Amino acid sequence: MSRKLLETDGQEWVEKGIITPEQHARLLALYPLDTHAIGLLPLLGSLLVGLSALSLVAANWQGLPELLRLGLLLVSLGAAYMTGEYFYRRGNDQVGLGLIALGLILFGASIILTSQLYQLIGYDLTGLLAWAVAGMALTWLYRSRLLFLLTAIISGVVQGYNTGQLGAFSYLTAAFTALGLGYYWWRRPDALTGAVLATGLLWQSALLVSYLHIKLTWFFVPAMLIYTLGDWQPYRPAARAVQGPPLVAAFLFTLGLALFGEADSYTDTLRPPLLAYLATLGAVLALSLWGKQRRGRLSSATDWLLLLPGFYFQGGLALAVATLVVLYAYSGAVLVRAHQEQNQDRITLGTGLFILTTAVAYFKLTWGFMDKSLFFLVGGLLLLALWWYLRRRASRTAAASSSQQV
Amino acid sequence: MNASLPSATNVPTLATTSVMTEPQRRRWLRWLVAAQALFVVGVAASGYATSYWGRTIWLQTAPVDPRDLLYGDYVTLNYTISQLPGRLWRGPQPPRAQQAAYVLLQARPDSTYAAVGIYPEKPSATENQAVLRGSVQDTWRRSVRLRYGLERYYVPEGTGKALEKRRHLKVQVRIAPWGQARITQVVPLPVSATTR
Repeated sequence: MSRKLLETDGQEWVEKGIITPEQHARLLALYPLDTHAIGLLPLLGSLLVGLSALSLVAANWQGLPELLRLGLLLVSLGAAYMTGEYFYRRGNDQVGLGLIALGLILFGASIILTSQLYQLIGYDLTGLLAWAVAGMALTWLYRSRLLFLLTAIISGVVQGYNTGQLGAFSYLTAAFTALGLGYYWWRRPDALTGAVLATGLLWQSALLVSYLHIKLTWFFVPAMLIYTLGDWQPYRPAARAVQGPPLVAAFLFTLGLALFGEADSYTDTLRPPLLAYLATLGAVLALSLWGKQRRGRLSSATDWLLLLPGFYFQGGLALAVATLVVLYAYSGAVLVRAHQEQNQDRITLGTGLFILTTAVAYFKLTWGFMDKSLFFLVGGLLLLALWWYLRRRASRTAAASSSQQV
Repeated sequence: MNASLPSATNVPTLATTSVMTEPQRRRWLRWLVAAQALFVVGVAASGYATSYWGRTIWLQTAPVDPRDLLYGDYVTLNYTISQLPGRLWRGPQPPRAQQAAYVLLQARPDSTYAAVGIYPEKPSATENQAVLRGSVQDTWRRSVRLRYGLERYYVPEGTGKALEKRRHLKVQVRIAPWGQARITQVVPLPVSATTR
């Protein structure tokens, strides 16, 4: 609750006799006046001074002697870290961590600018890998979500640059990201860092698949390994966050398959060797189910419906229908579980997925042979009816859950 | 940040692992900063070392559209060895985009170097040969486009325009025994050489 709300509404509560003036004063005392606004001024001032120094240096950068440039980079690097640690120690975490993050960014900038200074060519990745490793070390040192986020981004950028520009995949960077940040998240489970970690790792998996020129469905093996990590994580919100991105990827893929899978010419690029693919994915499935069973979450096994390899069907309507059945089964399962858990957010999510699937199915199955005005009319009515039915179920569940709580 | 996300502080499970004491953290930070500074110095040292131990070769640039040449504070260089005939490829499989490639260079009478072969693995070189590492960018039926990382030359202030006017340049590159290469000099080619 913010102090502002207490100040404005609190007066009303006193007048209505909900709280006494003394209680109001005591409540206000819990939320002391915000001193950040005052602390911001020196920060803003030093930022401006820093910017002027930066523009001065940037304007004359090429004209400065080599060693002076190197010295400037090193001094600003050290200064950022040291002042950051100073503020952090004084209890000003935000400014402190901000400056530490700035130091990390300056480290990367120093590597790049120094390479440019000596015209060193870029196929040597060690420099950029060192950047990611430094970020990881700082994340562990300060236990900071900001630094975690920055490190995940840096690793992703390093890997992207490496694959895109240098034509090599750095397994070391991928392993460092997975182990360093993964272990951090495992020990300090958190929803935000979980989602960031999963997204970063998915990005690197996608780069690997494109680098190896293998069938793109192989992507789901590392993706579901990330998902499985969530199955083993005891802290539920963090587990869900890490499972979100892989599921979104799988859902979008299946949706794409339902929409465009009929053209067999391109589904063929989706089919890895049947046995190898099924065996690998099956192994991941077993690991995932084991984790679910150990943590008592077997009901979420329906997530794996999205991984049914429907693309092995020869194209045409059979594939489209099979994919739609999978989509219905999945979104239906999400809805059923949400109602069982009486989780309002997930009910909304499931409703959305169900309606989306219906729209796709309807479009897919009737567009070809239905009069267009009839198509839109029936489609609209269908969606409205579905929405009305699902809303009614949702409110009934909500009512049930509130009566249980009483 | 989204307020509904649980912050790391109210996670009851394994989160409350031993947090470092303040002196410990400061000591670690000092080591980390020192390591980072050393690393940057190391990058610079590798530049000096490449100049010192590297062998010198000269490469010739091919003409490019002058409008594209000067871009910000670097010039874009297009070498005669940037696009090579596909018959120079010496690998068992045809070249693929983004694959690493080692170009065997042979000295010519005019002291510049020309490509004699493209290899997927580093080949051995004789006395008047050198190996430059690059990567395959594009492949066509008859030719291969390669990238060496030497395509940008960060020019000292104000000299870019002078280079821009010359469409043929001679670039001095040093290649260290461990494979690192760097441009050490870019000079305009004499007019007689350009009107081959």
